[in-house]
Amino acid sequence: MSLMPFAPSRPLSIGVELELQLIGCNDYNLVSSAPDMLRRIAKSPHPGEVKPEMTRSMIEINTSVQQEYDGLVKELRSLRKVVSDAGRFLNVAVAGGGTHPFQHWSEQKIFDAPRFHHLSELYGYLAKQFTIFGQHVHIGCTGPDEALHLMHMLSRYIPHFIALSASSPFVQGHDTGFASARLNSVFSFPLSGRAPFVLSWDDFERFFHKMTTTGVVESMKDFYWDIRPKPEFGTIEVRVCDTPLTVEIAAAIACYIQAMSRYIMVEQRIAPEEDDYLVYTFNRFQACRFGLDGVFIDPCTHEQRSIREDITDMLTRIAGHATELRAEDAMTRIREILSTGNGTNWLRQTYAREHNLGDVMQLQAELWMGN
Amino acid sequence: MTWSTYLPLWPLSVSPALWLALTLVIAVLVGEALVRYLKAPRIVGYMGIGLLLGPGGLGLIASLPAAEWRLVVDLALGILLFELGSKVNLRWLKANPWIAGASLLESIATFFAVFVLLSWFDIPGVAAAVVATIAIATSPAVVVRIVTESRAQGQVTDRLLLMTALNCIYAVIFYKLAIALMHGMTGAGFIHTVLPPLYLIGGSALLAWLFGITFERIHHHLGQHEETFSFVLFGMIAFATIMAATLKLSPILVLLAAGLITRYRRQRPRTFPPHFGSAGAVLVVLMFIANGLVADLRGLYESALLVLLLIAVRTVAKLLPVLALAHYSGISMRQAMALGIALAPMSSVALLLTLDTGATFPAFASGPGLMLMSCIVILELAGPIVVQAALRKAGETPEKKT
Repeated sequence: MSLMPFAPSRPLSIGVELELQLIGCNDYNLVSSAPDMLRRIAKSPHPGEVKPEMTRSMIEINTSVQQEYDGLVKELRSLRKVVSDAGRFLNVAVAGGGTHPFQHWSEQKIFDAPRFHHLSELYGYLAKQFTIFGQHVHIGCTGPDEALHLMHMLSRYIPHFIALSASSPFVQGHDTGFASARLNSVFSFPLSGRAPFVLSWDDFERFFHKMTTTGVVESMKDFYWDIRPKPEFGTIEVRVCDTPLTVEIAAAIACYIQAMSRYIMVEQRIAPEEDDYLVYTFNRFQACRFGLDGVFIDPCTHEQRSIREDITDMLTRIAGHATELRAEDAMTRIREILSTGNGTNWLRQTYAREHNLGDVMQLQAELWMGN
Repeated sequence: MTWSTYLPLWPLSVSPALWLALTLVIAVLVGEALVRYLKAPRIVGYMGIGLLLGPGGLGLIASLPAAEWRLVVDLALGILLFELGSKVNLRWLKANPWIAGASLLESIATFFAVFVLLSWFDIPGVAAAVVATIAIATSPAVVVRIVTESRAQGQVTDRLLLMTALNCIYAVIFYKLAIALMHGMTGAGFIHTVLPPLYLIGGSALLAWLFGITFERIHHHLGQHEETFSFVLFGMIAFATIMAATLKLSPILVLLAAGLITRYRRQRPRTFPPHFGSAGAVLVVLMFIANGLVADLRGLYESALLVLLLIAVRTVAKLLPVLALAHYSGISMRQAMALGIALAPMSSVALLLTLDTGATFPAFASGPGLMLMSCIVILELAGPIVVQAALRKAGETPEKKT
């Protein structure tokens, strides 16, 4: 199978995918209600899409293509309403967050669709351990070479996105000490990590062709990269974020990525270098482990500072672009996260107050559903 | 000093409790064997052994002293009912009124279907009404036990728990009304026909409400220690059960309402160990054995046709309304099928109501009561298997480990 041609898309348009947790209202554990939820949601008209995911205790909401923060938040809110109403009708709570704090992976059930059964057979327990919840952000690009350029330039700032969205400290009943423990599950997949350092679409097609002839991959979907091109949409897809605890934060992070992309495409105009990736895994680990307090090593100057400081600095640099994109409200929300903390901070504080992960899960669901 | 001062006399005179203890061991072993080799629910083994060894079967164990076993059954049932109540989210009915509709419809349908069937078989109106009210209740004991044992979760499980709690409440209230009618027939004054149901509902609600408040107070102070708290709760359930019996209220109604009220007031569910710890679990096992021991299948020989028809009619009456409203209430036909079938079991609640009626009206005990008893025994043995199979079919039990 060959790679699809890169469809053109409106530059800097955005789209958001959120994987959500379905929670039973009796014990606040994950509940395999995706088929019931989807059947119910199919009856009410809504923008965007609501889709099944790997296991039956997850669903995914996708926005349509959006241009700016206001439209994005509005659409995410109406999707949230549709999903929450279906949840209330079925006694199922819906929540954000990158992991469920105490679910047991072996109790998850694979959603009944050929692709998911195939993946389950291939990856075994990894597929069930993949009951983790992420936010994917699509950024529209004018052409394929621009897309690859943007992908490699954004790779430098992966720690920003991880630290801002981090909301998965608890796994299987314990505090892992990580801000985003979810990404640890992604790393166990053989084709995770970063895309190869190729800057032209022709080279990328050659790489893809070589990979398919080895039999390792069949389509772009088999690459679990942190950022990957999505040729059929004409976008690149940033996949490192945990699903935040509210749709407003999800929209704000998407617009932060959008404003940064505009800065890269319009103002920065420097070429990415392979050596940028020398610090990549170190920086990413710091963001997963320590969140906003993690150490960030600048790939060019090798200067060290906290991720929080680097984001603050970035906010000043992209302020003009944010204004152009009418994303000031989003930037205000990002500043709020820097001062009051990310989802992981909220979850740890709530646990310290409630002493019970079930109660944390309930409050987390109430926060997301907005009741 | 003689031999007999320190050696036991032959033949040994042993207390019936010894046989009961032995029965407990055997029943539990049989239960485990059922799970291991037949993948059937344990409680079938508990009841089966009770039935087999008790007066209804081989007669190895003499009938139990009524007062003692009644206490065990009341306590165990109290635990299961409180457990059921606290697992049920009444607010769900507001968000999805179709479930309330399905519940009312299946209960009304059950009552009338059974009533018409019995009238057709020339059973007097009031007695038929009493049997029909008892038939409304799905067994909370079987449902809670199987849901716990099979670790089921999902739409069918949630709705099964909710609809079981609701139809037990209707059953007890309308049963008391029917009994009041029966008293009216036997010559009590008007005031004694009207007052009992009012006293029952008012008194039970008050006691349940006091339970709820006390529960919250104690919970507020004990807080995080789930285990300690479940001991306290166990004591409270015992207290409420005995108190309800002393005040001639319905322990069934009180404990079920107490569970519902605590859940409704607190809003957040609490997770307790199943049956609030091992003491509760032992009582539950004893209850199922005791149910087997009092089982009486004589009615089946006398009126086999009626017994089987009653079971069939009751099952269909519960199934059809659930199927009819499936689409509106948001479940698939497959799930509705599972839910409707899983409403079939009868057990402790029906058994206690039947025995209570028989104690007051001996004519009932030897007539319709005997027939009803056979239905209960059959649905008590088959019920757990049916519920387990239904939950499996609905895909709500954990998948086999790979």
